[in-house]
Amino acid sequence: MGSDGLLVVRCQLGEREAFRELVAMWHPPLWRYVRGMVGSPHLADDLAQEAWVAVVRGLPRLRQPERFARWLFTIARRMVTDHLRQTYRAPETAMEEATTVVADDELSGVLTTMQIEAGLAALPPLEREVLILFHLEDLPLASCAEVLGVPTGTVKSRLHRARRMLRNHLAEKGYEA
Amino acid sequence: MSEQNRAVQRAVPEQLERALAAEVSLRSRLRHVAVGLAGGCGAAMIAVLWATEPNALPTHTQAVFAGLIAIGLAWTVFAGWVLSRRRPLFARDRVLSARIALAATVVTALAGVALAGVRGSTADLVATAAGGVVFTAAAMLTLVRARRRRRELLRLRDALRQDAP
Repeated sequence: MGSDGLLVVRCQLGEREAFRELVAMWHPPLWRYVRGMVGSPHLADDLAQEAWVAVVRGLPRLRQPERFARWLFTIARRMVTDHLRQTYRAPETAMEEATTVVADDELSGVLTTMQIEAGLAALPPLEREVLILFHLEDLPLASCAEVLGVPTGTVKSRLHRARRMLRNHLAEKGYEA
Repeated sequence: MSEQNRAVQRAVPEQLERALAAEVSLRSRLRHVAVGLAGGCGAAMIAVLWATEPNALPTHTQAVFAGLIAIGLAWTVFAGWVLSRRRPLFARDRVLSARIALAATVVTALAGVALAGVRGSTADLVATAAGGVVFTAAAMLTLVRARRRRRELLRLRDALRQDAP
């Protein structure tokens, strides 16, 4: 189960100092996922905080500590989905956020992981999240399938389509894909 | 992504730390446990007083008694909702809360039985004692389950520590 499982069990026991360690370990990947999905870092802060509050409230009922990562990303995904649903009702806000992200990332000159992350902003949400979970968060296919609530085969086809879209997008921007 | 964004990504924001510190607060949990127990035990005591009243009470006094019981039960329901949804108890908190609940239940049951013995009939005494036994048994069961859950987690924690490199 590893150190993640140990930390989760300590939190379930009620060792308050373990929460700090758990958050320090998992906040960066959680934040990166949320940031990749919503674009704005400030919004990512808010949504990540909401996700952590939900995690703390649900942690005593988590029966399988080794499934913590999947559970965490499932909760984060729910927050992101709720947010995207709201922003699609107000399209001008989504456009503003997307424009801000792209403008930020045009400032640097070399192709980096950060720019690939920025390229993700141009992809539709379904393709974006599968790339983030699989490539940036290094979740295995089975875990991605669980978080996304789809069969593994669907994750594979979505990944294939997402990689092609990202490659095309980066090529359009003049980067080597 | 700017340097500022990268810095934000690395660190856990202070605001998040503060929010989580409030979320995991033991004090807040114990406060709600105390509120719930006070409401429930208070309502039980008023019910015993009402039931063992030798003469029929005036209507407005009955209304006041009913209102006080309703208020006590409402606080218990509210505390139960908070403790199940907003501030769920972790294993150690559950054991501590169950001990407090058991102590409160025993004291209330004894006080109720004493009141019924002094003021009421034999039937009142038996009913109060039966109620006290039921609630005390429920509190003991809660404590047993809380301790079992804590033991399971402690065993799992120790096993994981041994497996850790």
